[in-house]
Parts: sequence; C-alpha cells; structure tokens
Amino acid sequence: MLNIIRIEWLKVKNYRTFWVLLILAIGIIPASNMIVADIVGRIPKQATDLLGKNFYDFPVVWQTVAKVNSFTSVIFGLLLLTLVTNEFSYKTHRQQVIDGWERRDLVLSKLFWVITLSLIALVVSFITAFAFGEAYSSFSFSLEGSAFMIYYFLQVLASLSGALLLGMFVKRSGLATVIYLGYTMVFEKLLTLGLKRAFGSWGDLLPLQAGDKLIPFPVVDKVLPASADYSQGVYEITIIVYVVLFIGLTWRRMLKVDY
Amino acid sequence: MSILTLRNISKRYGSLQALREVSFEVPRGSVFGILGPNGSGKTTLLGIVTDVLKADTGDFTLFDQLPTAAQRRQIGTLLETPNFYHYLSGYKNLQITAAVKQRDEKDIARVLEIAGLTARQHAAFKTYSLGMKQRLAIANTLLGDPDVLILDEPSNGLDPAGIAEVRGLIRQLAQSGKTIIMASHLLDEVEKVCTHVAVLQKGKLLTSGPVNTVMVREDFVELGSSDMNRLETVVRQHPLFGHLVIADGGLQVFFTGVIDPGELNSWLAGNGIWLNHLQVRRKSLESAFLEMTQN
Repeated sequence: MLNIIRIEWLKVKNYRTFWVLLILAIGIIPASNMIVADIVGRIPKQATDLLGKNFYDFPVVWQTVAKVNSFTSVIFGLLLLTLVTNEFSYKTHRQQVIDGWERRDLVLSKLFWVITLSLIALVVSFITAFAFGEAYSSFSFSLEGSAFMIYYFLQVLASLSGALLLGMFVKRSGLATVIYLGYTMVFEKLLTLGLKRAFGSWGDLLPLQAGDKLIPFPVVDKVLPASADYSQGVYEITIIVYVVLFIGLTWRRMLKVDY
Repeated sequence: MSILTLRNISKRYGSLQALREVSFEVPRGSVFGILGPNGSGKTTLLGIVTDVLKADTGDFTLFDQLPTAAQRRQIGTLLETPNFYHYLSGYKNLQITAAVKQRDEKDIARVLEIAGLTARQHAAFKTYSLGMKQRLAIANTLLGDPDVLILDEPSNGLDPAGIAEVRGLIRQLAQSGKTIIMASHLLDEVEKVCTHVAVLQKGKLLTSGPVNTVMVREDFVELGSSDMNRLETVVRQHPLFGHLVIADGGLQVFFTGVIDPGELNSWLAGNGIWLNHLQVRRKSLESAFLEMTQN
C-alpha cells in the first residue's frame, strides 16, 4: 500500500490542476464561513437573544460550519473525478496493470484519495470551526455538538465514493463532471421531491439527502424543528450503506471489465 | 521452459469473435512474431496476456506458472499506444513505471539514452513528437532490463531511421538471449528479426512454429534472356520444371527438386539459350503470408 501511495504522490506532485483544485477546496471552507459569519453578525441582537444562541457560538459553531461546508464539498468531488478520469484519458490505468499492478491496486490507489480527501475536509473543517468559535463565540469552548463534524465527514465520504463510481463507469472527464454537478446540484433534489411525494419519507434516504438530514440548519432547527421522520441512526447507517455499495460496485467492475 | 503458453483462448466482443480457441507456445530465447492483418486479434491476444482484457474461455501460463502481477513486472510491455501522463516529463513518467515495476530508478538514465531521449527527458510528454512518444514507450519496456519483452507494433509512428534503429535494437536484445514477443502487420519487420511466428486471421490461429517450417518458402530461379518466349518454351522442358510466373523483366521458375544454377545454365546453353540474368531467390514472407491468408 505504501508503494501505491508513493506512486499516487508522483502523479500529483507536479500536477498543477490538482494543487489548484485542492487549494480551492480547502480555502473555500474558511472563506465561505467568513461570509456567513459576516451576514449572521448583522442580525440584530434582540433577534439572536430570541433564538437563544448565535450561529458561531459554541457549541452551535460545529453544526454551522458543517452545514456551510456541505455546500462547498462538491469541489473535493471534482478533484477526485479529475484524478480518476485522467487515468482513463491517458490510458495509464491500462499501462499500470500491464507493468505489474494488480487490478485491485488500481481501485486501492483511488480509494486512497477518497479517504485522504475526506480526512483533509474533516481536519480543515474542524480547525475552521474551532478558530471561528474562538473568534466569534461569546461562550467558552465546548466539544458538544462536534459530532456534526463526523456527519460532515460521512457526507464527504459518500459524495466522493459516488464520484469514484461515476468516474470509473463513465471514464470521460467532461461527461462525468456534468453528471456529477447535475446530480449534486439539481437531480437529487428533484428525485427527493418526487420520491417523497410518491413514497413519503423514503425520499430522504438518497445519498446526499440523507447527509443533509444529519446536519439540519443550525439555530433555526431549534425554532422550527424539521420533521425528522427517521432517527439520526437511520441516516448514519444509510450513508454508510451507500459508501459500501459505491466502493463495492467500483471494485467489482474494475476487477472484471476489459480496460 | 516456455515463456508463454496459450490454451484455447477465445474472446468475443458483442457479435465479433475476436479470438477463436487460440493455442500456441512461445519458447525461451525466441523472437516470436504474431502476424496478421489489421483486426486479426493480435492486440486482443496480447491484452489478455497482460490482464487488461479478460478471455471468455481458455487460459495461459507465464514462465510455466499461472499468470500474476508479479510475473508482469518481469516483462517489458508496449501495448498498442504509448500511455503516459501528458503533464509529466519523460523522466517522471518512467519514475512511475519504475515504482510500479519495483525497479531501481537508476536504470532510467540508461533506457532514456538507448531511446535517444536524454536531451528531452525533462520536457513534458505532451510536447513530444509521435516518434518520441513511441521511443519513450520503448524505453519504458526496457526499464529494469527484463528478460521478456512484449512489443505490439514497435515501429509505429517512427521515421525510417527510427524503424531501422528499433530493428537493430530488437536484434541486439535477441542476441543477448532475451525472449521477444512481437505483434506486427509489417512482414518485412518480422522476416528480418523473428525466429518463430504465429499467424492469426480473423481471430483464428492459422499456424505457429519456427519461421522456416511454418511458412513454405520454396526457392525459385529468376531467369532472363533476349528471347523470353523461346526461354519460356525451353525451360518448360527441363526435367525438374514445376511452374513459372512471368514477372517484370524475367521469369520466376519453380522447380520440383533442388536445382544447381550452374547446371541449369549449362543445360539452357545446350538448348541454345544464352542467359543475361540468373538469380536464385527465396519467396518472400509476404507472398507466403498472402497465400496462406487468402486461402
């Protein structure tokens, strides 16, 4: 596995697109929170007193940062798609098997990125939440509610496993990017609406929607409790099932198919 | 020991039968040519051997063992096109191969030198010409000095000087005892370097074995005289006469037995024919191949 990681490092070390996308994906986390913090900072004090706590107060800050980041994690997905589809457009996935990789090494090499990027997202979010809490909170530091960070990690993991599957099936970078963006930004929301109308709360069990359900809008959720149809655990398990399913399908395909 | 043994390999793409029960053996130390027109299944066959394609039925062994990735690391392979990261330099691309093959990076300089790419090793692959890309692919196969090479159309995209260089290289590698499996539709190429051949047509193996026993390439004698009509009439009466072909500026005469050119000349002179051209030739691999694949 160490050799696989070293090879992946050689591939990206001098790859500018990788670094640009990575810096963008990381940088947007504090940047977007700064914008949100600025906006919610302008809510009149009477209103926030009414709501109880402000968005960047401990412990709400964990939930706020997780929610804000869930809108920008799509960049990590685009980065992963680029890494996966590059192998197909350069046919290097072929060459590496020819030169002596097992087919499973190919899947492992990209699984490494799914996990690494998810962990990067988690760590940067954690630091951001901590820093924003320290800067804006009128309450003292608390880890209460930091489980939202784990929910965010699960969201990213699910979305990246989905991107992995998509990249391995579609192979072409342009098409895969369009499908990915279309699905994350529009189609899943449409599907959720349709499914909810037809089958009720089942519609909340789509991969990204389940993640959204785990991280409701902070502060507001105390005032207007969302109709949580399932318990947290159901959404957690649903996401894990999707992750396993996406990786399993990728694995099966790459071991069997012609390159 | 056999380097590669194929047993009843079949492969179908939809309605196209790409390979039909192909079996043959590549002995150690041979330069083994896989011949066939475009689309005859050569690359499919090599793709199966290198695990990028899966056979529908049949199996094969590498070094008399079931094939694994570890054995592929002992083989230098160029399949179809050069596959490299466009944004990385030639050198950095070979670093990746060295890591995959688990070979020492020190060998990179040597193979780049052989491929004539030393001066451009730090330029990005996407800036290379077609010929340079192919050379990098050849350098890639030589990395780690493997004992077995699989080369699919190795002179693709090269200029005449490059083709001659690659042929020279293949011959040199063969002389150093390496086994080379080479697919080509350029018969000239095979004729010049191969010791063994397998001939494929529409996915079927027509024949395989040592070049000289597989392809019947009878000798013939090329004759010329000032009176070609009379030459033809007379030579037909030779006791060992087989058949003849009228070619540009001469007769190609095939005999049913071994013929000595001196005796033939004297016999013709005795019959009043004075030759202005006499040469013993061997049928080219190309015509032998065309005969074989057209039947």
